[in-house]
Amino acid sequence: MTLFWKWAIGIFLVLLLGAFAGLSVMAGSPKDAYGMLRYALPHMHSGKLKVGDDAPDARLVALDGSARFHIRERTGGAKPLVLVFGSFT
Amino acid sequence: MREAHPTDEWMMKSNFKDDVCYKQPKNLDERVVIANDFIKRYKYPVPFGIDDMSNAAEGAYSAWPERLYVIDERGHIAYRGGMGPFNYDPKELRGWLAARYGEVQHPDAKPAGTQPGGAKPGDAQPGPGTPLGTAPKS
Repeated sequence: MTLFWKWAIGIFLVLLLGAFAGLSVMAGSPKDAYGMLRYALPHMHSGKLKVGDDAPDARLVALDGSARFHIRERTGGAKPLVLVFGSFT
Repeated sequence: MREAHPTDEWMMKSNFKDDVCYKQPKNLDERVVIANDFIKRYKYPVPFGIDDMSNAAEGAYSAWPERLYVIDERGHIAYRGGMGPFNYDPKELRGWLAARYGEVQHPDAKPAGTQPGGAKPGDAQPGPGTPLGTAPKS
């Protein structure tokens, strides 16, 4: 391997380590940085919805685990609908 | 929706501290158990729905890990909150709702300061964990 490529790979690895170190500081620890990269980033999407768009519909499950209903069944009334998305953990 | 910090993925120290330790659900039953645990622990007063394992709602609203929306009376997106955790801002939503619809007083709620601890969330609300799909009583 030529000297140029050795240097290029070396610099790339140093930059990568530096980026990971920076992310570790931001996330709190290397474990959290890894968690963010491995588990969070693949699922975080800004999405294309905008204010004014038709609200998408989706089927949800009731707390009994069996009854089903749609988000849009609860819209179109006299009051707006606030959706609070989240998970317990 | 998918759990944000399950024990078998990216678990945080706060999960231990707050005793919120669950594996990522592999089926709907496990997700329903977690949802019911949440309702029970916090006596959550707001109607509740669970995304099924296709994560359709999460995908349609780009909602992971947490997000706030308002759908207006005509079925359009009226408010779209920032993506959590850093841009998840309930205070901003509260201000938006107050500006658009006025401050809301719940009919049975006593003004803050007239009872120990003031008015509590959940006063004059439907029963805890009322399923979102429950038909309103006439």
